[in-house]
Amino acid sequence: MGNTAGLQKEIGAISTFADLAPIRKMIRSCIQCGTCTASCPNEFAMDFTPRRLWRMVLMDQTEDIFESKTFVLCSSCYFCTLRCPRGLPLTEAMSALKQIATRKKLPKFKESVNFYSCFIESVRRHGRVNEAEFMTRYFARLKNPLIPLRFAPLGVRLMMKGKISMLPPIKQARPLESIFRSVEALEERK
Amino acid sequence: MTQKIGKVLVVGAGISGIRAALDLAEYGYGVTLIDRSPHIGGILSQLDYQFPTDRCGMCKMLPLVNRDASSQYCLRKGLFHENIEILLSTDLISVEGEPGHIQATLKQHPNWIDSERCIGCGDCVDICPVEVPDAFNESLSKHKAVYLPVPHAIPNPYVIDFAACTRCGACVAACPTGAILLPEEERKSFHILVVDDELILRDSLKEWLEEEGFSVAMAASGPEALDRLTEHPYHLMLLDIKMPGMDGVEVLQKAKETAPELKVIMMTAYATVETAVEAMKIGALDYLVKPFNPETLIPMILRIFQDVVVAKGRQIEVGALVLCGGTSFFDPRSGKNTFNYKTHPNVVTSLEFERMLSGTGPCRGRLSRPLDGKSVNKVAWIQCVGSRDLQTNADFCSNICCMFSIKEALIAKRASQHDLETTIFYMDMRTYGKTFQRYREQAETIHGVNFVRGRVHSVVPDMASGDLLIRSVDLSGNVEETRFDMVVLAVGQRPAEGASELAEMLGLELNPWGFGKTEPFSLTRTNLEGILLGGSFAGLKDISDSVTQASAAAMNASRVIHSKGGGLSLEHAEVHPATDVMREIPRILTVVCTCGKKLSQWADLQHIAKQLKSDPLIDRIEFLEQVCTAEGWEHLVGLVKTILPNRLLIASCLPYVYKRKLQELGKQVGMDPFLMEVVDIHTDFLRLLHPNSDDERQPVLIAGDSNKHPVLQQLISALETGIAKLKWVNPAAIATIPIVQRGLVVGGGIAGMTAALAIADHGFEVDLVELSDQLGGNLNWLKRTLEGHSTNELLEETRTSVEKHPKIHVHTQSRVIHSMGEVGNFHTTLEGPKNQAQTIDHGIAILACGGTEFRTSSYGYGTSSAIITQKELECKFSDNTIVPEKLNSVVMIQCVDSREEPRNYCSRVCCTNSIKHALYLKEKNPHIAIYILYRDIMSYGFSETYYTQARKADVVFIQYRIDDKPSVRVEKEKLEVAVFETIIGKRLQIEADLVVLATGIFPNLPQDVVQMFGASLDQDGFFQEAESKWRPVDSLKEGVFACGLAHSPRSLSETITTAEAAAQRALRILSREHLSTGKVVAKVRHSICSLCERCIDACPYGARTVDYDHEQIMVNPAMCQGCGSCTAACPNCASILEGFVKQQMLAVIDAAIGQGIS
Repeated sequence: MGNTAGLQKEIGAISTFADLAPIRKMIRSCIQCGTCTASCPNEFAMDFTPRRLWRMVLMDQTEDIFESKTFVLCSSCYFCTLRCPRGLPLTEAMSALKQIATRKKLPKFKESVNFYSCFIESVRRHGRVNEAEFMTRYFARLKNPLIPLRFAPLGVRLMMKGKISMLPPIKQARPLESIFRSVEALEERK
Repeated sequence: MTQKIGKVLVVGAGISGIRAALDLAEYGYGVTLIDRSPHIGGILSQLDYQFPTDRCGMCKMLPLVNRDASSQYCLRKGLFHENIEILLSTDLISVEGEPGHIQATLKQHPNWIDSERCIGCGDCVDICPVEVPDAFNESLSKHKAVYLPVPHAIPNPYVIDFAACTRCGACVAACPTGAILLPEEERKSFHILVVDDELILRDSLKEWLEEEGFSVAMAASGPEALDRLTEHPYHLMLLDIKMPGMDGVEVLQKAKETAPELKVIMMTAYATVETAVEAMKIGALDYLVKPFNPETLIPMILRIFQDVVVAKGRQIEVGALVLCGGTSFFDPRSGKNTFNYKTHPNVVTSLEFERMLSGTGPCRGRLSRPLDGKSVNKVAWIQCVGSRDLQTNADFCSNICCMFSIKEALIAKRASQHDLETTIFYMDMRTYGKTFQRYREQAETIHGVNFVRGRVHSVVPDMASGDLLIRSVDLSGNVEETRFDMVVLAVGQRPAEGASELAEMLGLELNPWGFGKTEPFSLTRTNLEGILLGGSFAGLKDISDSVTQASAAAMNASRVIHSKGGGLSLEHAEVHPATDVMREIPRILTVVCTCGKKLSQWADLQHIAKQLKSDPLIDRIEFLEQVCTAEGWEHLVGLVKTILPNRLLIASCLPYVYKRKLQELGKQVGMDPFLMEVVDIHTDFLRLLHPNSDDERQPVLIAGDSNKHPVLQQLISALETGIAKLKWVNPAAIATIPIVQRGLVVGGGIAGMTAALAIADHGFEVDLVELSDQLGGNLNWLKRTLEGHSTNELLEETRTSVEKHPKIHVHTQSRVIHSMGEVGNFHTTLEGPKNQAQTIDHGIAILACGGTEFRTSSYGYGTSSAIITQKELECKFSDNTIVPEKLNSVVMIQCVDSREEPRNYCSRVCCTNSIKHALYLKEKNPHIAIYILYRDIMSYGFSETYYTQARKADVVFIQYRIDDKPSVRVEKEKLEVAVFETIIGKRLQIEADLVVLATGIFPNLPQDVVQMFGASLDQDGFFQEAESKWRPVDSLKEGVFACGLAHSPRSLSETITTAEAAAQRALRILSREHLSTGKVVAKVRHSICSLCERCIDACPYGARTVDYDHEQIMVNPAMCQGCGSCTAACPNCASILEGFVKQQMLAVIDAAIGQGIS
């Protein structure tokens, strides 16, 4: 039942647990005008255009949505949200999809989820990101020695330019801890 | 001659205002037509071409019967009708009283140029030092502070832009007739008090204001200001809010107690704006935020000065008010301006582009890039700018932009010397009008306009090349960046300037977006009786809809007046009937205007007189200095009264301008205006005299024998053409034909009933013929509208009024079997229920045969009881044979057998109907899945908001392409619909409990009935209008009209509007016992007519018939429009056109080529 009853869908493992209803609610007055797609700076790298993604959300094509990497490539620039003629919170809807992928620990998004969580852990610990620590933890979490090697040339280049500091961070007693705690409390209350 | 007492005020002289005014005037009312701007025509004065013909054609709105009461020249130039008073630069200030007796106060903004004296020489323009952006050209060019509001108007007096004029006085000195009077004294007597505790501010304000010529006094504190107010009366006070001691608000309160008339402007810092707004609630007029400069201050002061002192108030009593205020347009600069409008000159609005294409526009019709003048090779149109956009509070469609963008693309292609590439970026192409779908397809397939579905968000300029970049995504998801030379923004509608103030003053309700709101089932009636809306005031409309609505508003206004006991009071005014001069020898008085001393400077007047005098028919020749001025005209009238000629020739300039004056003169002295002639001896001759000089106004003395100068010879020739014309003019009085003041309406649906009631309510008998056994037509099954109104009450009310109306004769179970005759005299035979025949004589016929849902066999219709049409769904809702709670999934398919050949038209109502059903189902059962498979959603106008609602209610809309239609498979109990979803790129399979087909509207108009009445059908079987834009409910044959679904697919309220419009058009004819024909009509010389009947085919108005009994060709003089086609077609010269007979025309030509009398 619901807005797409009768529509033939591929029902797989994801469809059974991923509830798209709240996201659908955010974007249901979409008229497929394509403003979001034409505005998106990352569209070139996406497998599905944002418009197609929203269409799939509206059509309950859950399997296909989580096959796609479109939403993890959203860099939250808010162009689409700003420009949507219907005033839809598209960036928020993108995050909601990211959250589902994180919560459900979908293997396809393991790399991205790890990347995000290592990044934020580092921020939580130091009040800012410490690149060396962040990279170390990220690579350790992936448990694949080939991945760090893939990134090595880039790492060297960045280090030469002084973009990555190998020094340990200045000791500070978790300056953002209280903010993180409050957010967690808010999340739990949801 | 009758004088009209019943009066109507029409506010707004755009196309709908003109239509309403003409309709009422033709019926016989006196009409006061006002407009805020200094010209008539509204937005159409700026537009040269209209789709679908890509031409103008406004003149087709001019009266076709009793033609001579009105001007018969280009309506964009001007309008004259004996029953219409036109007041320009005029505002409606207040309205009091009851419907039928409304006291309206008008305020006419003075023009510092006396239009009676202005001779249009343009000397003031040359000398004026001030340049301002030209509103007529959408600010793409500039004009002087003294200017012509539109270049083509007649008469066309100059006006002064009050805000821009520096009052240097140069024009006053330059004006040869002393027509300009600057209001220096008036400004000096306007006293302003400046109250501020800061000396610097006081001083600078005083300086600025005194420079403008006002009298200024100052006060440094509140108490001092109050003292000053008691000493001397002031008109305006500029009051600071924050002052030590007594603050501004307190001063305002106290000042208002002693001087309630005083206008006050609050001056405030940004922080206290709220206080200023509060102050406005207790009587301040406006406020200024500090710091401000003279550019903000002075226009505001001038406006107040205008309102208070200069403008003259005038009270008129009218029976009803028709508001035709039009709309304004969205300014793309408001908000984020992502299109770079006005920051990049190659980005223009649709209106600006239209001006650029115009021959009278800033580029004289030659298209080039405004930025660098380079040639234009690629133009893009962006649709829905400020429409269908919730971010700019525009949850509506602006109705006309899709069509005018296509039109502009086609015209631009035509105007361009080379192959112009045109692309239209759109969301839904709303081609919902009668011929629009075909027009669009031709634009695409024949003319090569590119249509790209996708909204464009922004335009990015490429600084190096000056090109514009547009990023868009196509349906399959490819993002592309394209370069264009120019971008045209199809800007959406916004409420007319001043609409909210007007509504507040009248107590008129507005819709949520600020447009006029009408009552249910009506597009013209408002919450106030006696105040009607016409045209775009209630939302932007194309010309045909505007004109239809204006006629409907005119009818409703007239109905109000009639119901309040008013009407046309036939009082005989003091008029001299024209003397019969049939048997008199022509005695021509010739009055030559010398245009000041211009003519006498180069020509020998006595020589001219001598030349003309050689013709014995010339009674007298008089030379006047200025016939166009009031004094000059008085002089001329005096001459006519003393000399009493039987023909009058005036030689001056601009012959068009004299129409009204000649009519009045005719009434004063009892002379037929057709025996008067005006020839232009100035406009062209000045140019001939100075072939190589730019400055035509410098007098040139002619060397040698000036009397032999060729230009003088030509001037005399021109005079002789007028004389030749007058010599041969037939002084016979105009014929009239009797009118049977009774109407016939065929079809008893809501359209037919509405039309019949409208006519009967004006006191005329009507016969209403209905084929079935009961009245009501489609309303017998159509129960609800999109807006949620139930139609039951409307049907019952209308049916009862029709059945009980003493003037309406209902013939049910009857049909028309024969009809003959012409306007004013039709004889129609009806066949009744028991085969008995009855013949009715009537003056007009309205065809309201209705329409029905198209019967289809597509999508498996007929193979399953679960595949139904929209109408069946509506019926099943009514009799509860469908229970929404039991449905799981419903698929609606739009455009079934529509918008493709052979039924290549949009039925206009199906999209909103599906939305209506979907919303109803969702309301009853929120768990139903509803899929609407569509091509373009046609939720035009304010119904767009229901489309948004349906989207929000989780209705799934899937767009399909015409070359890949959905399919329906019936499997036992189940239906399976397959449709290709373009955006996802997948074929979807939907299991449906119910499939609803939108098959659209099919007309019910029998060909034989239409032919009997002399009208015709269009290619889809609907009524063929005389002209789809300008005469939308008339047939080419006068006296036959159509409305409702037989006319075109319409919603219920639109149907009613067409019916009211048709009734109004019919009433124009029924209102008279006799119809005056025009002077210029065709006649037949039966003795040399060979009855070849070529003239019958040639006549576009169906005015000619063959009388087989007498073996004669007959011409109906009321239907003949004097076009002359028949005279050209006739091989024997048996067909002649009165007013253009051969002898007369040859004599005129002889005179023109110098073979005349001298």
